[in-house]
Amino acid sequence: MSAEDTPRAVHGRAPDVFRRGGWVPMRCFDDEEEVDFAIVGTGAGGGTLAARLAEAGFSVVAFDVGAFYRPLEDFASDEREQSKLYWRDERVSGGEHPISLGSNNSGQSVGGSTVHFQMVTLRFRPEWFKARTKLGYGRDWPVGWREMWGYYAKAEAAMAISGPISYPWGPPRGRYPYRAHEVNAAGQVLVRGARAMGVAWAPTPLATISAPRGLAHPCVYRGFCKSGCSTNAKQSVLVTYIPRALKAGAEVRDLAMVGQIETDDAGRATGVVYYRDGRWRRQRARNVVAAGYSIETPRLLLNSATARFPDGLANSSGTVGTHLMVHSNHAVWGEMDEEIRWYKGPPSMAVCEHWNYEDQKDFHGGYAFMSQGPLPVDYAQSFVSNTGVWGMELRRRMANYNRMAGLKIVGETMPQEKNGVTLAEERDRFGLPVARVTFGYCDNDRRLYEHSLRFMRRMLKAAGAGDLFETESTAHLMGGCPMGFKPDDSVTDADGRTWDIDNLWICDGSLFPTAGGVNPSLTIVAMAERIADRIVALAGRGELERRGRRLGALAG
Amino acid sequence: MSRFQPPYPGYDVLAKWDTPSWNDPTRRVVAERLTRVPERRFFDPHEWATLHAVCDRLIPQPDRLEPVPIAPFIDDKLHRHQSDGWREESMPRMEDAWRRFLKGIDEAAQARYGRPFVDLGPEWRDLVLRAVQKREAEGGAWGDMDQKTFFEKSLLREAAGIYYAHPAAWSEIGFGGPASPRGYVRLVADRRDPWEAPLEREDEA
Amino acid sequence: MPEPSRRSLLSPALWGGAAAAAGLALGALWMARRPPRRAREGMAPAARTAHGAAMERHLARRLDEAGTMLSLSVLADSAMEHYRGRFHDPFMYAAPAAAALSLARGGPGSGRRTAHGAAALTGAVGTGFHVYNVVARRESGLTWNSLFYGAPLGAPAALVLAGMAGLAAAQLRVEAREGEPASIAGAPAAPLVALGTALGLLGTTAEVALLHFRGAFQDPWMYVPVTLPPTAALALALTVLRPTPATIAAARRLLQATTAMGLAGAGFHAYGIHRNMGGWANWSQMLLQGPPLPAPPSFTGVALAGLGALDLMESER
Ligand SMILES: Cc1cc2nc3c(=O)[nH]c(=O)nc-3n(C[C@H](O)[C@H](O)[C@H](O)COP(=O)(O)OP(=O)(O)OC[C@H]3O[C@@H](n4cnc5c(N)ncnc54)[C@H](O)[C@@H]3O)c2cc1C
Ligand code: SF4
Repeated sequence: MSAEDTPRAVHGRAPDVFRRGGWVPMRCFDDEEEVDFAIVGTGAGGGTLAARLAEAGFSVVAFDVGAFYRPLEDFASDEREQSKLYWRDERVSGGEHPISLGSNNSGQSVGGSTVHFQMVTLRFRPEWFKARTKLGYGRDWPVGWREMWGYYAKAEAAMAISGPISYPWGPPRGRYPYRAHEVNAAGQVLVRGARAMGVAWAPTPLATISAPRGLAHPCVYRGFCKSGCSTNAKQSVLVTYIPRALKAGAEVRDLAMVGQIETDDAGRATGVVYYRDGRWRRQRARNVVAAGYSIETPRLLLNSATARFPDGLANSSGTVGTHLMVHSNHAVWGEMDEEIRWYKGPPSMAVCEHWNYEDQKDFHGGYAFMSQGPLPVDYAQSFVSNTGVWGMELRRRMANYNRMAGLKIVGETMPQEKNGVTLAEERDRFGLPVARVTFGYCDNDRRLYEHSLRFMRRMLKAAGAGDLFETESTAHLMGGCPMGFKPDDSVTDADGRTWDIDNLWICDGSLFPTAGGVNPSLTIVAMAERIADRIVALAGRGELERRGRRLGALAG
Repeated sequence: MSRFQPPYPGYDVLAKWDTPSWNDPTRRVVAERLTRVPERRFFDPHEWATLHAVCDRLIPQPDRLEPVPIAPFIDDKLHRHQSDGWREESMPRMEDAWRRFLKGIDEAAQARYGRPFVDLGPEWRDLVLRAVQKREAEGGAWGDMDQKTFFEKSLLREAAGIYYAHPAAWSEIGFGGPASPRGYVRLVADRRDPWEAPLEREDEA
Repeated sequence: MPEPSRRSLLSPALWGGAAAAAGLALGALWMARRPPRRAREGMAPAARTAHGAAMERHLARRLDEAGTMLSLSVLADSAMEHYRGRFHDPFMYAAPAAAALSLARGGPGSGRRTAHGAAALTGAVGTGFHVYNVVARRESGLTWNSLFYGAPLGAPAALVLAGMAGLAAAQLRVEAREGEPASIAGAPAAPLVALGTALGLLGTTAEVALLHFRGAFQDPWMYVPVTLPPTAALALALTVLRPTPATIAAARRLLQATTAMGLAGAGFHAYGIHRNMGGWANWSQMLLQGPPLPAPPSFTGVALAGLGALDLMESER
């Protein structure tokens, strides 16, 4: 019985991710039972929130259309096979610069995209939370950095981040729970380059453990992180928050696609309609949380339109499915004299955030860049689709695989209203309209990545690389349902609570008002930790059912 | 063009089959790939032959008695409607795009050399393919489909993805291959574990 | 060269483990042996002298044992670690060779001393090499990453200790004079060995502290080898200042605990390897990457020397 064909988390038990063939007990709720929270999506946002809310005593059911894997027995060391972790249902990508989806930025399994993410866990630069007022671009976040600093620490503890003793950028942070890993040869190329260029570098804080943690084995440097970690070293949501959620009494429903959030005549959410095990069903809930990430969350809100909400739920401002951002993922690659063998170890073991903290630039925003270690399929595909090389020449170039080194950015893009998610005509395997994603870079985005290419070129040369070439791509998704200060230009308040429907919440990467120049998951997890605390506090004040007057007043 | 000499001639990832570098899930997947090459189910015989001819030029394997199969896996993916998770809006649906391409290169081959693509010699095949890559291929089959986008983002990307997912290709480039439960110990440049491909220099010595 | 996990189990990496196990068994045997009975108040003077000589021989033996234990540990550890470094520098053969020589130490007295001296010298030079490697050779310069993963600074010092212990034992025998207090290089033996042991314990603790910090003290037991040995070291130093029955007894108990801890440590590390991915079936990776099997018994070695010093101290009172 494979995880992709039949739901595993049923009949009072769920897979034990730490034991081959193992199970843990799971509390199960009846469809008719009105649970406190129905959460759609179990990734960085949804999985975290499910654990925290269940631990606070709420009844929680979390849905994911993806499978519930036991990494030790379900993950092969094979890139093609492991593409099962990606969102491979149809989507349409358009706009001036149509972005790649699937393996590039969307996961589909219990644990969400963190199951195949590359584990880079960086904090935002404090000023980014006030990007508009402090730095003059984008929007401000309705959350302050000092508060987030505390939640970052909580998230890092929960995911047992392995990080350096001292981090060269930003305000001080506490000690990472685990020590940084040995920087591999690919990372040492960045180190050499950074020293030559006079900029700082650091071993990348990574969500993979450098020593045992409970039943999770430490990293064995096998390098298949993007294809899922069969070691359980990777501290994905699947092996951190999900077991916590189950232990605290949450139910996780795998292979369960939520097609619609239902609302009543009073305009309140009443539950979700979902497809599982061959039929459509309905779960009643006092609160619904959308946590399907930047494409699926807007799609779900749009697909849930009713006569009362003809433009989709929580969309009175018209901002649902707008301001979608990516990270530009431009890279420079070169050939070294020595054998690097970048397939060993997590792909990005050294990082440089210099240009996130340096403001003498001709563009807004910033970028971090990291050493690289793509496996053969990944590298070959990126190589051919960027260079167009084929024939014998392709095999010859690929034969340099073990001597290659590369630097790649996570480059901030600006929030633009026109970039976003709408519904397409086409329907997916569930009969639901698929998402149509629109994206185009703006001038500032271009200036940013061109700057990065110039800089990384010089740096890679200084590190001794020859035969340089460049590739372009995008990574990560942010925004799509921005949170904000006012109901007329954002979808939710600072707590992820939608302005329009008091018991409808959002808790995932789609909340980001700006993208920041670092990988997003740590911030998503930290936000989820914060939203959980806020929900508990609101419940304590009896303001969970209906937004309190003070908050409404503040907002107005 | 000089002859291609793979850098690690003596290295074979499959020799590690019974070692801790391979686990059961991996053995299952790779065994399937090696032994169960999909049969033709999506393309018609002529399209099938044409696609083989194309793949043979994209990734020539004159050095192999048994070339790594590429076209069958493309056929299989299309047959199973297996998407990568998105489609560029300007592109037709996948199934349609591949058929247009195969028809298009036939039309271009006819226009240029008066015969179908499969009947061309290697140099001519390359010329037709280069024309596609430069958006210069003749024929009505293309319609509004962007030739270069299809060529580089679909055709070439797919072929490279299939070839470099094969153990023979892993051995060719000196990739460590499957690595679970056993990963790697020596992460420093020019240093290798005994279960990795010998250093190029060691080889020369 | 066949792929390691298919090679016979007697591969270079595994015999390190075997050596550690052998060391363990030997150590346990030594531990079981009792020192000569203590001098009693009512003993005749002649008997007391004979007893003093016996104690001297006893300390010398203890020192030899300490040296053996340390050499074993260094031999196995350096062989494995330098195998991990693939002996890329011919000097990397020196450490295991010197440790082996110090272990063999057959032949006449002067040959012994040469072997031990060579070991100590190799250790000292090795420390220099390792410092150079960490500070200058690593791409990243002197950083925590180099300290954690570069050549371990403290490891060669264990070889110095091994050599010194052997030298001290030899010297003790040479300088043995009927009726005179035991001395090494003219200095009173008991306090000298006690202080040397204390320093050795502190140095070894520093190395362990660094590595267990690298391991994030993920298991609370990992705190034992960074707290117990320094406490024993302090207690030992105190006996030099104030050799009373109480201080000696306290130091003895702490040292005995340290001796046992060193052996238990190997067991803990074996369990640690089991906790890594693939466990012992993945030995070809984990003997090198998991917790070092032969390292903890070096504590046993150092502590044994201290115990010998205490015995002598007690008999000389
Ligand atoms: C290859 C790759 C590498 C990455 N590397 C990094 C990195 O190194 N560092 C970093 O910080 N970030 C990285 N990311 C990004 C990171 O994984 C995501 O930003 C993060 O996981 C998003 O969290 P989320 O909760 O918003 O969504 P996700 O984690 O994607 O979770 C959403 C979940 O919701 C489910 N879902 C969606 N809609 C429905 C529905 N209607 N019904 C049921 N279930 C639904 C999906 O199946 C999915 O499991 C990477 C991403 C990819 C693809
Ligand atoms: S390198 Fe580490 S984190 Fe990545 S897949 Fe391997 S064991 Fe997991």
